[in-house]
Amino acid sequence: MIAILILAPLILLAALGAVWKARPVHAALLLALALALNAMLYLAMGADFIGLVQFMVYVGAVAVLIVFSLLITRPGDEKAELDRRPGSVVTGLACTLPLLVSLCFMISRLPEIGADAHPFSGFSIEELGLTLYSTHAPAVIAVGVMLTAVMIGAALFARDIGGKSKPPSE
Amino acid sequence: MMNPLALLLTLSSILFTLGLFAVLTRRNAILILVGIELMLNSANINFIAFWRYGPVDVDATGPLFLLFSIAIAAAEAAVGLAIILMVFRHTRSTDLNKLDSLHG
Repeated sequence: MIAILILAPLILLAALGAVWKARPVHAALLLALALALNAMLYLAMGADFIGLVQFMVYVGAVAVLIVFSLLITRPGDEKAELDRRPGSVVTGLACTLPLLVSLCFMISRLPEIGADAHPFSGFSIEELGLTLYSTHAPAVIAVGVMLTAVMIGAALFARDIGGKSKPPSE
Repeated sequence: MMNPLALLLTLSSILFTLGLFAVLTRRNAILILVGIELMLNSANINFIAFWRYGPVDVDATGPLFLLFSIAIAAAEAAVGLAIILMVFRHTRSTDLNKLDSLHG
């Protein structure tokens, strides 16, 4: 519980920075920080394996991929991001604040469930693997097929076919 | 004092709202993807919160769902960034306000 109380504000601060920072690289690095803190939250809650997976996949792959994409697509875009129109902020707040209020209202109406509602049994990686490859084997195969399709699709999208891309403006 | 489940659900709600705010207000396509990642991450927190502090003790259902969710999020980020790179090659910009060639 103490770990949650410490980590939750830090995650929120990092996420707020990722949303609000004008410079794209700063925003991406703060997202990486938020994801890393989230992994620590999972570790503190007893989901060690998931925490490590979160760290490797989200922080090690996704966040780094985003940073590299920003480095590749940098010219001219930082300026566009810096002059974020005030109107868009008002629209964003008008759309998101009612959602947040209604979600918080629903959470406040939850029945009281204490931390000791049931004894925490945890899980072993062996148990997780056995469940994955027995009960959930079709889902694992489906995810594998999807990841293969995504890998091929992303490679096809990203390659420059016959040098048809527009040359840099400068 | 809030119980841990309510605290985690509140955290995930705020994260989801922040992600949605980024999606609605940002103009850079990659930063919109950052917002989507935050929203996916907030859903992941719910999986672990209900598994750890929920009313029913079920084996490893939360972490199982989370594994699938992480795989799908990684795939979404890869395809999204590949599409953004392709668009950037053709328009030299990732500003979504400038991508109006299909506008008619």
